[in-house]
Amino acid sequence: MPSQLPPKENNLFKRVVKCYEQKQYKNGLKFAKQILSTPKYADHGETLAMKGLILNCLGKKEEAFDLVRRGLRNDLKSQVCWHVFGLLQRSEKKYDEAIKCYRNALKWDKDNLQILRDLSLLQIQMRDLEGYRDTRYQLLKLRPGQRASWIGYSMACHLLEDFDTALAVLEEYRKTQEVKSYDYEFSEFLLYQNSVYREAGRNKDCLEHLEKYEKQICDQVSIMEVKAIVSYNLGLKDKAEKYYRQLIDRNPSNNDYYTGLVKVLELSTDEMMANLYSEFVEKYKYSHAPKLLRLQVTSGDTFKRYVGDYIKHALRRGSPPLFLNIRPLLKDKTKAKIIEELVLDYSHNLKNHSKLLTDDENKEPPTTYLWTLFFLAQYYDHFRKLDVAMKYVEEVLDHTPTLIEGYTLQAKIYKHADNLQLAAKLMDEARSLDTADRYINSKSAKYQLKIDNIEKAEETCAMFTREGVSAIENLNEMQCMWFQTECAASFLRQGKIGEALKKCHEIDKHFTDIIEDQFDFHTYCMRKMTLKAYISMLRMEDILRSHPFYFKCAVLAIQAYVSLHDNPITETEEDTEVNSDGLTAKELKKLKSKQRRAKKKAELKEEKKADSKDTNDKKKADDNAEPKLDPKKLVQIPDPLDQAIKFLRPLQDWSAETIDTHLYAFDIYYRKGKYLLMLQSLKRARNIDSQNPQLHINIVKFALAVKAKADLNKAVSQVVETELEVLLEGMKLQEFNDNFIERNKNSIAHQSAGAEALNILNPSASDRVLQLCCNLSYDHIETELPVCAKVYKNLQKDTFGKVPESVIETYRKSCSQLFPLAAVFQDNQTASETNEVVSSLSELSVK
Amino acid sequence: MIELGDITPHNVKQLKKLNSVIFPVSYNEKFYKDVLTSGDYAKFAFYNDIIVGGVCCRVDSSDNRRRLYIMTLGCLAAYRCLGIGTVMLKHVLKLAETDGHIDSVYLHVQINNDTAMAFYKNFGFEVIETKSSYYKRIEPSDAYVLEKKLK
Ligand SMILES: CC(C)(COP(=O)(O)OP(=O)(O)OC[C@H]1O[C@@H](n2cnc3c(N)ncnc32)[C@H](O)[C@@H]1OP(=O)(O)O)[C@@H](O)C(=O)NCCC(=O)NCCS
Repeated sequence: MPSQLPPKENNLFKRVVKCYEQKQYKNGLKFAKQILSTPKYADHGETLAMKGLILNCLGKKEEAFDLVRRGLRNDLKSQVCWHVFGLLQRSEKKYDEAIKCYRNALKWDKDNLQILRDLSLLQIQMRDLEGYRDTRYQLLKLRPGQRASWIGYSMACHLLEDFDTALAVLEEYRKTQEVKSYDYEFSEFLLYQNSVYREAGRNKDCLEHLEKYEKQICDQVSIMEVKAIVSYNLGLKDKAEKYYRQLIDRNPSNNDYYTGLVKVLELSTDEMMANLYSEFVEKYKYSHAPKLLRLQVTSGDTFKRYVGDYIKHALRRGSPPLFLNIRPLLKDKTKAKIIEELVLDYSHNLKNHSKLLTDDENKEPPTTYLWTLFFLAQYYDHFRKLDVAMKYVEEVLDHTPTLIEGYTLQAKIYKHADNLQLAAKLMDEARSLDTADRYINSKSAKYQLKIDNIEKAEETCAMFTREGVSAIENLNEMQCMWFQTECAASFLRQGKIGEALKKCHEIDKHFTDIIEDQFDFHTYCMRKMTLKAYISMLRMEDILRSHPFYFKCAVLAIQAYVSLHDNPITETEEDTEVNSDGLTAKELKKLKSKQRRAKKKAELKEEKKADSKDTNDKKKADDNAEPKLDPKKLVQIPDPLDQAIKFLRPLQDWSAETIDTHLYAFDIYYRKGKYLLMLQSLKRARNIDSQNPQLHINIVKFALAVKAKADLNKAVSQVVETELEVLLEGMKLQEFNDNFIERNKNSIAHQSAGAEALNILNPSASDRVLQLCCNLSYDHIETELPVCAKVYKNLQKDTFGKVPESVIETYRKSCSQLFPLAAVFQDNQTASETNEVVSSLSELSVK
Repeated sequence: MIELGDITPHNVKQLKKLNSVIFPVSYNEKFYKDVLTSGDYAKFAFYNDIIVGGVCCRVDSSDNRRRLYIMTLGCLAAYRCLGIGTVMLKHVLKLAETDGHIDSVYLHVQINNDTAMAFYKNFGFEVIETKSSYYKRIEPSDAYVLEKKLK
């Protein structure tokens, strides 16, 4: 089939291309039809391909692919056909396929600039760095007159750490630039060039480069920062000191500058550092940074004096971040004690004399006392002395019932006390006092989600989301991940696995979208010369899923899939979708019937909604090409564990330093019966914290599983045996557990883990198990609410073997005395009293 | 340190909070609805950026006179004697003066409220009447009518 058309048709073809480029799709199709309706050219490959391309732009995907494939078959040697096929693949986000197509196209037209450019974009998007470099080299050879050619090629070399080539090319380019007085783009270029010197470790060149071009660089702070660091690297101490001092003078609130200076001056003792910081405290009276740094390195009476000055000043100023600034110091028990005593003394003096110190000259305004009480509430909340914290926050609200922060703090204390109902109520109270504050609005929604009141949470958010769209949709559109994560967690608690998974997948998609969105920047940044920002964006995208938001989402997804594996949901029982994990049969029945009722209600509502929706909405839904995530389908999958692994992988890649990653990995591989992978996760977890309670249980489970498994592959079994010895530290299993219990005598978390392991090892040792797990006499047991709650739940779940009701009830009673506010330990009567308080609270406030 | 600020639909619940702890009388929804449309006649008092007081008044045109009636004026107990009441009352007096057609400013005070009496007398208010059983649910139920003539 000839690809060359006669002049008349060829002209038409050119018009087709032009129409495509100008987005005149209708005309384009018209001209294409004119060619194709000539019988002789009805199969003309490139015309078919172009027609397909245009149809694709009009959303007719299937027809488009058909046409393009046909076109390609008719003209395999046409760069146009291959290029078009590539464009289609690209629009389907099949980038690897698209790259192949472009490469084929280049076979027939190796110097086609458009194809080369398109190819390079895909290559950088896919991080095919070598391919990218080669393509950029080609482009540089073809178009040496263009700025982008030089920058693109050097950037490719830079990313491949071929610094010498990168620098040589950049320098060639720089030479061609005329020096103008103010040229922001050139300034950005110079900073980029400089950063490559620095990354190459060529400190001397880096410094000289800066000193030479300083005048042409606009970003003065960047210059100084680099100068300071590089001078230090080069051992030019005087210079480095000078630059750091200049930086501090410019911005005395940046901690890095102070720590940089300390390094330069090689200050080795706390006293030397304190002296340096004192110098700056004197000089920059209004700056917090040197004061706070000085508090880190002083102790005893000196510390007491400094911290007292600092706190007194902040209390007078009424600065709520005071506690945030002080909090890092509380890790040091002695310092915490000093702070506590000081502030208690202030509060005493303020109450009796309206003075911070009895011999102060002037009286303080009432707000000083208010913030002192507020600080104390935060302080005791921090150390989980929740009853004391509660007393102070109540004093705060008695003193100033209009202080919104008072309600948010009280809500937080209730949250820590595990009374989420009251917490949510108070947070909503805070919200209602200033409905223009979106931060508190979001907080309130979050607290509603914590009590599984998704509807109210949505209503709350809807006060700020765009009108005309449902809040849930809008929040998804805005990639509001905290909301979706909390939703997922709530659904999971409610046993609505499908809904939970839907949320997790929505969040996962946000990450995919963010990676996708890079595409726009590859050309944009190069054009705008924001090269340093571009490089750091690429690097950020490379590790995008290391973000804590992803971690939270992945953990929820893994838990959901694992529970699906343990309790599969078949089609027939789809409406009884429950996470039976941890529920007694009675509770299960109750939950199921509750869910049935809720479902009916939801269906009714859905119907109503559908009725009221006009056709417009339906059309919109059709246009939306994205397949909707269907909670029902999400739970009916044959391989939940493999799905879980998809969420686990990024954690293993980017959050390997977090022990939970490996604990979840074990959960999955244990169920899959993958011994080597179990072993791997155990070893990784052990490297992070060999005494982690859950890890301990996992090791015991692993050892038993290995013992029970007779038919392990020889090679595997050998590895497993040897490694198991290491895990057990050469001990017998029983001994290993005893040793763990003995070693961690003072930790309730460890003791209960030991008990759990003991029950697995020896189900008849129940007396000792109960003795271990029900023990509540530890130092600071009042700070261990989460563990106690877990133990209580595990007691009910038979994690410690079959436990008599009376034992569980005794445990509950002791705990409810220890944690009077905690909802989990409340008996029915107290719980209903709480409910009364909750409902009366709202009346109170409107009185 | 002391500033006056607007009462808006966003923060009107703070006024409810204030009134519920300052006054023994409770006010109905209509009171709070009207407040939102009374512009400068209803104001919050801020002390170090915290709402600690509020004043609400309205023009009373009964008996062929135009008078300004102070419905509520109060500040949280912890913030008294700092001049906050003064700032609010001065604001009211100034409103009345700028209006130009106001004969007097008046209000009711429970007869045992010595603080309020001392406070208002300081600004030239005088008792013009005693209304017995003015209050329905609180004791003592009698009230003084205090007035300051402008013309
Ligand atoms: C009455 C009230 C508004 C005064 O507010 P305040 O901010 O404390 O008043 P100020 O600080 O501006 O005081 C101004 C002057 O009033 C007088 N005063 C105020 N409180 C007083 C008291 N407890 N005893 C004697 N005089 C007092 C003083 O002369 C004071 O001047 P000074 O401080 O220079 O001596 C406040 O006490 C209050 O909110 N009370 C409860 C509500 C109420 O009863 N309102 C009246 C009915 S509408």
